[in-house]
Formats: sequence, structure tokens, C-alpha cells
Amino acid sequence: MPSGETEPPRIALRGIRKSFGSIEALRGVDLDVMPGECVGLIGDNAAGKSTLTKIISGTYVADAGTIAVDGEQVRFTAPADARAHHIEMVFQDLSLCDHIDVMGNLFLGREMTRWSFLDNRRMKARAREMLSDLDIRIPNLHAKVAQLSGGQRQAIAIARAASFQPRLLIMDEPTSALAVAEVEAVLRLINRVKARGVSVILITHRLQDLFEVCDKIAVMYEGTKVAERETRRTQLDELVKLIVGKGEAI
Amino acid sequence: MSVTYTERKTGSALADFLTEKAQVLSIAAFFLICVLFFTLATDVFLTAGNLLNILRQAAPILIVAVAMTFVIITAGIDLSVGSQVALVNASAALILAMGVPWPLVVLAMLLLGAAIGLGQGWFIAYQGIPAFIVTLAGLSILRGAALYMTQGYSIPIRDVAGFFWLGRGTILDIPVPALIALAIAALGALVLSRQLYGRQVVAVGSNPEAARRVGMPAKWTIASVYMLTGLASAVAGLLIAARLGSGSSNAAVGFELQVIAAVVLGGTSLFGGRGSLLGTVLGTLTIAVIGNGLILMHISPFFTQIVTGTIILVAIWLNTRIFTANFSFKRKT
Ligand SMILES: Nc1ncnc2c1ncn2[C@@H]1O[C@H](COP(=O)(O)OP(=O)(O)O)[C@@H](O)[C@H]1O
Ligand SMILES: [Mg+2]
Repeated sequence: MPSGETEPPRIALRGIRKSFGSIEALRGVDLDVMPGECVGLIGDNAAGKSTLTKIISGTYVADAGTIAVDGEQVRFTAPADARAHHIEMVFQDLSLCDHIDVMGNLFLGREMTRWSFLDNRRMKARAREMLSDLDIRIPNLHAKVAQLSGGQRQAIAIARAASFQPRLLIMDEPTSALAVAEVEAVLRLINRVKARGVSVILITHRLQDLFEVCDKIAVMYEGTKVAERETRRTQLDELVKLIVGKGEAI
Repeated sequence: MSVTYTERKTGSALADFLTEKAQVLSIAAFFLICVLFFTLATDVFLTAGNLLNILRQAAPILIVAVAMTFVIITAGIDLSVGSQVALVNASAALILAMGVPWPLVVLAMLLLGAAIGLGQGWFIAYQGIPAFIVTLAGLSILRGAALYMTQGYSIPIRDVAGFFWLGRGTILDIPVPALIALAIAALGALVLSRQLYGRQVVAVGSNPEAARRVGMPAKWTIASVYMLTGLASAVAGLLIAARLGSGSSNAAVGFELQVIAAVVLGGTSLFGGRGSLLGTVLGTLTIAVIGNGLILMHISPFFTQIVTGTIILVAIWLNTRIFTANFSFKRKT
């Protein structure tokens, strides 16, 4: 430990490995995210970005490697463990329940209850706040999620992850179905939560967005992290080269 | 040129309501048509005595159908309910014959039903064996156990007035089994639509992985719905024993089909996530009315089976084709 004043990373991954049958999805990945830092995670399809973030959120259990939250070793065996450490994730597939209404999805797993009954009045008021905080316009909170557009669904998944005081917010391609104004709102959200000290991991194919919110960009290739760059010391064309495997690795 | 930005109208609340409730409304309409038909076709159908009789006979089906609605909402199925009813029915008679006080017997049977259901639920939820397989095995094992215990004989129950009252008694002229069944249905509807547990059941049926990811007890929820069918089957088995005054391993043959038909007819989706207890009540009553009406019309009781089977087929067909794909009461504009 260097000096007393350097704080430990919000999350520190060391040597993370994960195989699915014969496919080695991750082949030893290290990653540090500091408090209040936003790390962009980029790479070709099947590079292992989603798998890595799912391990952080407890959805998958790593075959090898260690995870430390705020300097403390943890072992996540279920998503609830990660949630207990205030790690929230927007999944690429959104993880919404189509048959439950907007409000129910926002509070999924965190239902407010009174005597084991759903407290719909309180949840409704809070749901309105959650959505308006993010400039999301969904007039009918009782619409079933199946009836909504792709962008609205994505917005709900983001609101759900961002609204319950996360300390690490992971977003796996959160803006792929969003319109221009909504993407801007998500980027504003990221900058806002960063200012509160929340760490963010952002996976996206919109490389230009990274320059607006990220402090650091990690590039993955075939299950390994091949490069890490500070955002202000890199350009778009360098990132593109790193993604396709023609860059100079560190 | 100036363009004014206008908000889209939220759409008629009535149209939304109709689309949302399409299935319950259609089963309600079908139920009324059946009632009307048998009222016109027979003299006795629409008499208080006959209607109360229908309620009394439908009670065991309704009780188990309420629990089965929860199971089917999780995208599961329980084929063993008829055998569970038979096992409880026979066990209750055997134990009562030994002279054990009846409230104790009732309690023991409820525990037995819950334990059997939980056992099946454990295989399904924690071991990942398809519900169809586990409960098909259960269907065979439990009926076999009932046959083995009774050696196929009917076991008479004698001189337990309190117990008989459960099956034969009335309160304000309404049969006790019907009151029990309606109370259970109301309780089920409350739990499903208003309680945290109901929300967990729907979530697990709609998207089990999402439910797991948000930290819901997904596996326990799945196991628990089979405990509910076990418990409900025990209640049904006890009520049948109390009504008939005997216990038999041949009770409730084909019961599971009637229960599943009632639930599916009520609009609960076999693919999980969507279901209605009001629909289940209407579905159960429809099947009971058809069975009763055909007998009153002196049509062979064997024919009822053909009708029940046909109803299952048509209901599932409507369920999968029309209601899920592009069916809507909304006008296309
Ligand atoms: N649940 C799974 N079962 C089998 N293979 C998987 C699973 N999840 C991911 N993989 C494999 O792991 C590799 C990395 O996938 P993923 O992490 O989704 O990549 P990315 O998100 O970077 O596109 C791919 O080859 C993919 O096929
Ligand atoms: Mg991915």
C-alpha cells in the first residue's frame, strides 16, 4: 500500500477467467475502476465485454481470478450479492418482464411493500421522479413493457439501474436503440452520477460518446484486455485500430 | 411555415381495458352462453337446487385450479394433482378409521399435501427437471401409493359429523365446500394481483433470468407454487372424502385435465407470465355447467369427457393463436 491517502479502486479485477464449454470467453482480465471514474469498455463482438461485466454484477461466477470492492476481496455467487454492494447493471438484453407494467419493472426486486402488499401509491410517485430525473417520457406507468418501443424499454432498464444509489453502474450498450436526445440524456446522467462519486463502466459501439464521458478506455480482444488508454491521450482512429487488432498493445 | 408540436393522445382507456381483459371477457361471454343454452334446453338447470349442486361439485376443481393458475403463470404444469387428491382422500379415510380426531387428520393431510408438492417443486426448481416429467412421475407414483395403501378398496368413514359437515353442510343454504372454494379463489386473486409474492410469481413466469438478476428468490418461487398445488389438492381430497363419506384410491381420475382445462379456458397463458384468477373461476364454472347440463339433457356421461377434451384443445388454440399474435379490440388507425 503506497500512502494512506490513495483510495483503493471501487472495483479491482485480477486474472478473471471464464469458459463456456470449449469457448474461453475470458482469458485472464485485469481491470481497475476508481471511484467517480468512467471506464469505456470496447471491442469487437464476442470480445467478452458482456461476460466480464456479468461477472462483476454476479450474474456469472468467474472460473478463476479475484474481485475486490473498495479494496476488500469479495466473492459474488448470485446477482443479489453484487446488488448488496450497490453494483447495478443495465443488461444488453435489458432483463425486463414483458408482462409487468412500467412501474413494476422499475421496482423489480425492490418492491415497496406494506404488510407484504405492494405499495403502489408510493411506488408510483417514486417512479415518476425516477423517469423525470432522466428526461424519460412514458405517459402511462401502467402500460405493459411489451407494448413499448425499443428505446423506451432501454430507458426503463437504465432508470432502474441508475435510481437506487449505485456505487458502480455498469451499462452494456445502453444507447443502441435510443434517439439522439435520449442518448444525450444518458451521457448527461453518466456525468452527473460521476460527479457524485459513482463509478461507471460503459460498453458501447458509439466511440464518439466515450470522449464525452469516459476517463479511461479499455479495449478487449478475444477474451483479453489488449490496451488501456486515457481518454485525453487517444483519438478515434487509434481506438479503431486497437479494436480490430492492428494497434500497439501496452 | 410553422410546425406545432403536439402530444400524442393517450388513447381511449376503454380500448386499453378491452384489450387487456379480452380473454376474461370472452370466457365470461362463453359462460353466459352456456348458462343460457342449458336454461332453455332443460327445465331444472336454472333452479336454486341445481345451481348450488353445481357449486358443490365444482368446489374441489376450483380450489386446485386456483393453485394451478399460479403454477401455469410460472410457465409450469402440475399433472399430479388428481393423484394427490386420491392419495389424501384414501389416507384421510384410513386414518379416520383408526379413530384419530378429525381436526388432527385435516392438519396432517394439509402437511402431507404441502410436503408432496414441495418435493416435486424441489426437483423442478433446484434440479432443473421439466415440470411435465416430474409431475407425470408424481401422477403415477402417488396414485400407485393410494392403490397400494387401500388395495383398491373404498374405505368407509363413519360417525365424524364435524368432518362430514365440511363436505355436506351449508351456511345460509350455500354449500360449505363452495364457500371454501370461493374464499380460496378470492384469497388467490388478492395474492396474485396485490402482494409481493404474486409479483414474484409473475416475474418468474415472464422472465426467470431477469427475476434472478434483480435478486428475487426465483428458484424458491418456482418450488413454492407446487407446494400450493399440493396444499390445494389436499383440501380438495378432504372435501371429497367428507362429501362422499369414504376414501378411495380411484377418486379424482382425470381430475388434472379438468383443472388444467379450467385454467387455460380462463385465459392463463401456458407460456407463463400472464394469468387471471377471475378467468380461472369462470373457466371452472363453465366446465362444471357443461358437465351438469349434458347430464340433465340425458346425454351419456362419457360424452362429457369428449367435450372437456375438445374445450381444452380449442381453448389452447385460441390461447396461442388469436390472443397472443395480432388480436386486438382496438381499431387500427
Ligand atoms: N451463456 C453463454 N453460453 C455460451 N457461450 C457464451 C455465453 N455467453 C457468452 N458466450 C460466448 O463468450 C464469448 C464472449 O461473449 P460476450 O461476452 O457476449 O461478447 P461481447 O459482449 O463482447 O460481444 C462469445 O464467443 C460468446 O459466444
Ligand atoms: Mg455484448
